[in-house]
Amino acid sequence: MRVLLTIWVAKLAGLAIRALGRAGTHTPGLIARRLHPGIIGALRHPSRVIAVTGTNGKTTVSNLLTDALEAQGLKVTSNRNGSNIAAGVTSLLLDAVSWTGKPRTDVAVVEMDERSARLILPGLAPDLLVCMNLTRDSIKRNAHPDYIAWIISSALPASTRLVLNADDLIASSLGADTNPRTFFAVDRLPSDSDRPTGAAVDVGICPVCDHTLDWDYWRYNHIGRVHCPSCGFRSPEAAYRAHNVDAAAGRVTLELDGETREAHLINANVVNIYNEIAVAAVLDQLNVPRDRIIDVLDHIQPPTTRSAVETIGDVKLVRLLTKGLVGVACSRSFEHVASFLGRKAVVLTVDEVSERVTDVENTAWIYDADYEYLADESIEQIVVGGVRRHDHALRLAIAGVDPERIVTIESETAAADRIDLGDVDDVFNLHSVHNAVSTGTVVQERLRARLEDRARVVS
Amino acid sequence: MSRALTIELLFPEIANLHGDNANVDYLLQCRPDARVVRTGLTDTPAFSSEPVDLVYLGAMTENSQLKAIDHLRPHRDRIEALIEAGTSFLFTHNAVEVLGTRIRNDEMKYDVAGVGVFDIESTVAMFGRYNGKVMGTVPEAGADNPVVGYKSQFSMVTGGDSIAGFLTADRGIGRNTTTAVEGVRRNNFIGTSLLGPLLIANPHFTRGLLARLDPDTEPVLAHEKLALAAYDARLQDFRDARRWHPFEQPTSH
Repeated sequence: MRVLLTIWVAKLAGLAIRALGRAGTHTPGLIARRLHPGIIGALRHPSRVIAVTGTNGKTTVSNLLTDALEAQGLKVTSNRNGSNIAAGVTSLLLDAVSWTGKPRTDVAVVEMDERSARLILPGLAPDLLVCMNLTRDSIKRNAHPDYIAWIISSALPASTRLVLNADDLIASSLGADTNPRTFFAVDRLPSDSDRPTGAAVDVGICPVCDHTLDWDYWRYNHIGRVHCPSCGFRSPEAAYRAHNVDAAAGRVTLELDGETREAHLINANVVNIYNEIAVAAVLDQLNVPRDRIIDVLDHIQPPTTRSAVETIGDVKLVRLLTKGLVGVACSRSFEHVASFLGRKAVVLTVDEVSERVTDVENTAWIYDADYEYLADESIEQIVVGGVRRHDHALRLAIAGVDPERIVTIESETAAADRIDLGDVDDVFNLHSVHNAVSTGTVVQERLRARLEDRARVVS
Repeated sequence: MSRALTIELLFPEIANLHGDNANVDYLLQCRPDARVVRTGLTDTPAFSSEPVDLVYLGAMTENSQLKAIDHLRPHRDRIEALIEAGTSFLFTHNAVEVLGTRIRNDEMKYDVAGVGVFDIESTVAMFGRYNGKVMGTVPEAGADNPVVGYKSQFSMVTGGDSIAGFLTADRGIGRNTTTAVEGVRRNNFIGTSLLGPLLIANPHFTRGLLARLDPDTEPVLAHEKLALAAYDARLQDFRDARRWHPFEQPTSH
């Protein structure tokens, strides 16, 4: 009776919230958890529950799986438009039952915040859990990937089938011996190297004998394939692999547990190749016919990216979300900047000083980020804006950027006015999440206006 | 007359969290002639058999703390002898806990003895991470140039009442939430729970440390102008009482 009462109150709350024009994807779950702390486990679930977690890719993979399963004619509940913490997942499960508590969908696809696993997994008891990767995130909240792996493993039901990234030795170690598991991977790419570089490499020693590991290939952070020269330990073999990535033709070869198939390449970015092979692995594990899996991949729309490029005159203006507080996310942005071959200028406003008001500032993440990617002769100037501009300028200098090329300015938005557009080919606007609108958009508009003026003069 | 410094970086493959190892990179930029010995977990530490000017150990995971204890325990007597002889050590974040007498972690279900160099114990609370700032004076930098830094940790340290702190916090907590005494200091051993680029963020302290490591050489800071600008901005901020949350002060204050 308590469960039914909780369902009714939460659903009524959801109706009221939606009547006010809001989404109501969080509060009903919040209320339900207050009324019944064990509600996630007490509710009847759809016949299939799939959870997707990891530091990067969980949103994209959840959405792709939802689309793919709906395309198979299944009725799917997901938190696509809701939150991925306990309250959001509770709201999802409430939506998946009728007022009498009966399941009314076939499948639940649950995107799960990895840090919330202990509040979600014991009750959710998913049939299948996908973990895309576990890399460094906020030092203050997530500490380190080992911590997140421990949270997930501690909360994981013994029978949940795991679909794990074989190229991530932390994610691939999730769970206990009782958990059935299968692995996905992306074979060596031309851009991979033989040894790791950078500040944030979280796999260094053999989990069996503590000896330093050797890398078959290294991709980024601790992503790649390893073996131990001392005891023979190796990264797990993947039943699902992507290889022969042909970005120009938009094709990729997928190994699906013993069968080779050609497929549409959703996106050439390595993160999205992982997303694609993970989706294929899950669908195969759910016994979706392989012809249909390939058909689904053919029709998937590329996910939105954190990068936007516009060409003004003969200059590319690149806006790039560069998530401050998360050093490894900054490294990927800096690496992206370095991948452009022309002469470059960069506006850098990833200051996270705002958190000193709402929380406690901690700037250690700057040294988890590989600013070394920006120590490139092709980058003619970097203008750093914000309160902590001197910290970033110092980090750039330590990374090897010529201090003569670094300009600091207190105002984040005025950085757009200070940058020397001279005769550069590419201009980058790197901003964080919290200042995406207040700084990122303003800088973008000012840079665009200046480049349009320059294009008019040239023409 | 200048002489080459030897800096031993212990276990960089596991003790590399939170950007802490940038401290050694920065020292190397300040003293390009220095030799950095990177000692892997299964290697024999250089300090066990040869003179080393500075032994450095940075931030690590909880599991890595246990591995570090196992690999340092055989060298306990040597570590104690070196500390007594005045060798410099810098252990940041949770590294100093490895040298304590006990680490207790109820959530991860272990309670282990540390290397036992210092009479301190740490209690790890995996669901009680503490985040805060610290500001306090150290002899290496003088009263006008306090050390400024950050904490982000699962553990709190108790005991060591007779052991001097790295600093006594003017603002921020120390070894735990009831004391302003932060870290440990014995002769030239410094252990602090402050994390990240401690030496980069505190150029005056770093200058003092370099002077102690090599008294015959005038310390030169890499990118000094930028380092001082960053320090001055942070110090100004930290001196503003409005920047401090109530939980950032020890409860005994």
